[in-house]
Amino acid sequence: MTLTAFPPPPPGADHDDLRQEVRAFLAEELADFPPEKRAKSWNGHSRDFSRKLAQRGWVGMTFPKEYGGHARSALERYVVSEELLAAGAPVISHWIADRQSGPLILAKGTEEQKRAIVPRIAAGELSFCIGMSEPDSGSDLAATRTIATEVEGGYRVNGTKVWTTYAHVADYMILFCRTGKSEDRHGGMSQLLVDLKTTKDIQISPIIDMAGEHHFNQVIFDNTFLPADALLGEKGEGWSQVMSELAFERSGPERFLSSFALIEEMIRVLRQDATEAQQAEIGRLAAHLMVLRQMSRSVAGMLNEGKNPALQAAIVKDLGALFEQDIPRLARSLISRPAVPGGRDSYAAVLAYTELAVPSFSLRGGTREILRGIIARGLGLR
Amino acid sequence: MESMIFDMAERLLRDHVTHRLREDAAAGQCPDALWTRIEEAGLHMALVPEEAGGFGVPAAEALGLARIAGAHGLPLPLAETLIANAVLARAGLTLPGGRLTIAEGAGLRLERRGVAIHASGQLTVVPFARWADRIVTIAALDGTDHVLSLPVKDLTLTPGQDLAGMPRDEVAVDRDLTEADAAALPRSMGGMRGLGALVRSLATAGAMETILQMSVEYANDRVQFGRPIGKFQAIQHSLATMAGETAASRTAAEMAADSYDTAAFALTVAAAKSRAGEAAETVGALAHQIHGAIGYTQEHALHHFTKRIWSWRDEFGTELEWSTELGRAALSSPQDTFWQFITDSTAQGAPA
Repeated sequence: MTLTAFPPPPPGADHDDLRQEVRAFLAEELADFPPEKRAKSWNGHSRDFSRKLAQRGWVGMTFPKEYGGHARSALERYVVSEELLAAGAPVISHWIADRQSGPLILAKGTEEQKRAIVPRIAAGELSFCIGMSEPDSGSDLAATRTIATEVEGGYRVNGTKVWTTYAHVADYMILFCRTGKSEDRHGGMSQLLVDLKTTKDIQISPIIDMAGEHHFNQVIFDNTFLPADALLGEKGEGWSQVMSELAFERSGPERFLSSFALIEEMIRVLRQDATEAQQAEIGRLAAHLMVLRQMSRSVAGMLNEGKNPALQAAIVKDLGALFEQDIPRLARSLISRPAVPGGRDSYAAVLAYTELAVPSFSLRGGTREILRGIIARGLGLR
Repeated sequence: MESMIFDMAERLLRDHVTHRLREDAAAGQCPDALWTRIEEAGLHMALVPEEAGGFGVPAAEALGLARIAGAHGLPLPLAETLIANAVLARAGLTLPGGRLTIAEGAGLRLERRGVAIHASGQLTVVPFARWADRIVTIAALDGTDHVLSLPVKDLTLTPGQDLAGMPRDEVAVDRDLTEADAAALPRSMGGMRGLGALVRSLATAGAMETILQMSVEYANDRVQFGRPIGKFQAIQHSLATMAGETAASRTAAEMAADSYDTAAFALTVAAAKSRAGEAAETVGALAHQIHGAIGYTQEHALHHFTKRIWSWRDEFGTELEWSTELGRAALSSPQDTFWQFITDSTAQGAPA
């Protein structure tokens, strides 16, 4: 049963020297960064921070050197990623581009696209968003309606994308849309590279989430013209291209470390004087975390070998979301201290923030229902 | 992970560990003939280092035998014999051959009597003791771990059993041991509790893989409302949950196996036993729910596996004990952050 086998990460995966360098950098850069900001985890935004990180060579680490990358392994990138998340560094500005858009362009893009874009991602200068969900196409991605019609010199795009995280600051969107008709439900789809800073007839408007934050946007394409060279990869191959991005999107440490600021706060409070029952709960949490991390590093090892561990990635994300969503409940069962939004006590403030953040963890990047369907198919349910 | 010894073991157990054999064993009949085959194949020596007469199989791979023994519900002390021989070899004691078992030595008192070491006390819940030739245990004398090799024929046994009907006996010890049967461990191996917890975690992962496979097959075959029940989303999600718990348990157990005999073992084995024990609850419950009434009968094979994983939770430290130990270590760790504790706890390569 290969689905339940996660081979250990290769020897040397710890990269201790690199880890210490990153820790020293973060200790300095984030010296005055308070816990309630760290609680935003990878949703924290700072172009300045992303640029500084890139100057250290820690963005686009796995990209080839000829495109401004550093030709390092997926496991070295993993070390940097998990250290950033554990510290609650504001990384979203480069995160999506570094994680999946850059690798996608490198794998499927034309030479011109690669030269024009990838070095700027590696420099921490470009921010990407993902144009997948639509008002009538959430989990059912194949129901996508946004359509790009071929016209002279390019495409006319019409349709609406929603829940587009950080579209309001992003430089590019990778748009998933229809480019043709197909008998196959998954056919006739393509990915287009949209320059959000220069393209006309795109309307981006905020959708405020229940935590009061502006991450989501609605993006309307109203007869928007995109040049022919906006096509990313093969025309009509959008579905399989999107599917091959998913192992990158779903297996990383951001799938179980989103509540990590609250874990550190909890430990800080309990350290002075923990009962045996509290120790047991922290031990249980540590066991889950050690194992999730090992599974996630195993997937990084498989990605490094050029495999497509999409099923294992779905397992990591499903288990990871359960874990990070359970942290507020665990905190409340161990510490009797009310959540206070924006409170002076950092435990109370981080708890309040995290309580409102967790419902999204099993929605974004593939809902729990979708992931479990994928796993069930992988098990051979007919 | 796949190797000759592994393939051989898989074939041997697949061919010989039948539902009938498990039934007979639960009724008290030791499968002697199968043990002879296991010894002929040399499986019992897999964890012994080459210089002590082993075949130089990497430890993590040898320990994989504990997982597949669990996957087949083997009613014999193969995992126990693997560990016992490795511990005896480390202490420089003779490897006696035959069926061996292991026991936590916390209930034993050791004292010097002339040249001999006198051991007295109780060993509880000793797996397969009445079917074993010797019990190997570790206990402290003058602050140093000593390995003891106790011939079962000289001991007083009170039979007991676990939920699956496997022998779990109480053993009274009161005897002098010569240097042939007792020696100091030159380097700690973390005590028998940790080593036992390691093989039980691996076996739990293996048994859960079998339970998962049985459940998938049942869901594909059983038709209700005009279609296989595996077509229903509720059943699919239960199976997906079982797969996640099984994968986590196997990863946890293999992480501990990878750190066998290194400094990381104390914490990785705690994580493994805690995680696998917790998963046993979920996996067992969902498997029975999917199987319906037939899975709650003697005639169906499922109960042999669910009873085993539930029993193993309680052996060599419950998940509560191991969680408490791990949590205490995390909360009292010298590291500045919990995160540093986590990364250090799984760091590769440091020797014990």
